[in-house]
Amino acid sequence: MGSEGVSGADLAGRRVVIAGVSTRWGSELARTLQQRADVSRVIGIDSARPTTDLGRTEFVEADIRNPSISALLPSLEPDVVVHCGIVWYPERDRPSRALHDINVIGTLQLLAACEKTEGLRALIVRGSAAIYGSSPAAPAFFTEDMARRYPLVTRFQRDIGELEGYFDNFARRRPEVTCCMLRFQVEVGPGLDTPFNRYLNLPVVPTRMGFDPRLQLLHVDDATGALAAATLNPVHGAVNVAPDGAISLSRLLRLCGKTAVGIPPILGGAINRRVGRHLGSADLYRDGELLLRYGRGCDNRRLREEIGYELAFDSEGAARDFARTAHGMKSLFPAPHPGSPVRSVTR
Amino acid sequence: MSGAPDPEAVLAWAETVQSTSDKLLRRLAGEYHEDEWGFDEEFTETVFPLFEFLYTTWWRVQVEGATNVPGHGRALLVANHSGAIFPFDGAMIATAIQKEHPLPRWLRAMVLNWAFDLPFISYLLRRLGGVAANPANLGRLLEQDHPVMVFPEGQKGFGKPFAERYRLQRFGRGGFVEVALEAGAPIVPVAVVGAEEIYPKLGEAKPLAKLIGSPYVPITPTFPWLGPLGLLPLPSRWRIEFLEPIDLSGYGPGASEDRSLVFDISEQVRERIQDALYRGLVERGPAFL
Repeated sequence: MGSEGVSGADLAGRRVVIAGVSTRWGSELARTLQQRADVSRVIGIDSARPTTDLGRTEFVEADIRNPSISALLPSLEPDVVVHCGIVWYPERDRPSRALHDINVIGTLQLLAACEKTEGLRALIVRGSAAIYGSSPAAPAFFTEDMARRYPLVTRFQRDIGELEGYFDNFARRRPEVTCCMLRFQVEVGPGLDTPFNRYLNLPVVPTRMGFDPRLQLLHVDDATGALAAATLNPVHGAVNVAPDGAISLSRLLRLCGKTAVGIPPILGGAINRRVGRHLGSADLYRDGELLLRYGRGCDNRRLREEIGYELAFDSEGAARDFARTAHGMKSLFPAPHPGSPVRSVTR
Repeated sequence: MSGAPDPEAVLAWAETVQSTSDKLLRRLAGEYHEDEWGFDEEFTETVFPLFEFLYTTWWRVQVEGATNVPGHGRALLVANHSGAIFPFDGAMIATAIQKEHPLPRWLRAMVLNWAFDLPFISYLLRRLGGVAANPANLGRLLEQDHPVMVFPEGQKGFGKPFAERYRLQRFGRGGFVEVALEAGAPIVPVAVVGAEEIYPKLGEAKPLAKLIGSPYVPITPTFPWLGPLGLLPLPSRWRIEFLEPIDLSGYGPGASEDRSLVFDISEQVRERIQDALYRGLVERGPAFL
């Protein structure tokens, strides 16, 4: 095993450890990797058993928050470690307080374990573009170097900021390991069950009155594909995983045939709590609230040119694909039929 | 006039109704285009007649030198800023290009950041080509070969009292020059005369601003006293002059880091706009007649 820089070829026969394999993203990655001949072993770690069949992926039940991970990980002798265990939003059984523990302490323990792992050549973290936040003054397309340009205002943002700090520290201490931080934009797709997808599937969709955020919608197939591409061809530093283009929330809802209701700010708090509970998060979490007010866009040049991933969907394409399966009350304004010209009718 | 209406006219009218309702239904179904910045060309064209009315009838805009704006490729239009309530100066510059330029293009505009924190205004501005003012956005727009408007005076120019009209404020740190140098975009200075008189600003209602969460609420002779009616701009006479472009393509790489060069160019642009303003005020004559 050479310890020079990572490139696609010299990782042939590699062993990949996926932390957080029971998450949808971890399971999808495991399924993709185990089909490849140049990946000799895929080992999944999680505190809960995966709910889907992972084929030849070996499963180890372990909690990355537990210090015992420092003994476990080196014994697996991984070439590549992928961390898919970062949780983006609070859910009923995971209040926002627990997220800090899972995200920050979990990542810290995993990094400590990586320090002890000889022969590790690449570390890939499935992070979040939420680190850029959502602000009216923001660049329309964040590039990777703009991460801490604005104060980190939400709890999740601060958690991501903190864990990226530890990650950068690790990358500096271990220059021979290719450390790749993937910052994922909001995902949509048929069958995806996240608060944002549930939000779009509400019978009537509440929006912030007078605001129409610009969103980037990453198609779930691209989210899976980009994670696999980055695992097989990692690059140093942060990479935005974002689609081309952007779409406004109002147009997205119209494409889905949804009726939007503008909520005046005075009712905002109460409605957000109700909607949040309905979506299965304890509250409409602050990141989501800001996103639905100001939107966010990311530049994807590094993903396309350095990782070399070709996106299958742009933001509009992802919206249209999602619209095929969106359910709930349909709009009062269905798409018009190709109208018959007045003259041919009247003559 | 008496007798049956002309059948052709009725048909033409019915067709207009149908095409308008088709367009409306199509848009309500989300079937329209917006670019990656949120600019909606069809929407802009739809509201354009309102701007045309303001341009031709309300403000009787005279234009000089529209062809100084390149017909293709990147360009940075730098203008004085005024208006106190709505940025009609930007709208009229864009309308002038549509009406007077042989190769009209829609201009993008760098908009004061806080405008994107205002309900309704924020998405209206974005649909019309407004983008939050910051160097990253300006650079990307220029790289994509858009013509972009900036108002380097920002809030200092927009919200200055009536007594200081046509006195250019400080041009900030010259960030627009740095970006133009990096992108190799020519700078076209633009002098707008007339927008200072549409809402003569007498003072600011700070408590009201705090109450509605706006960074600033101006007081004019009619606003907020007459309520929404006070938002009606006064029918001043306007004159917009596009000056000779300043070519920045000759400076080598790294020129944008040369502070003295950046300040020199920024000051040169500022002086040319100020001279053109004084000249334009004389050319225009009385403000309202």
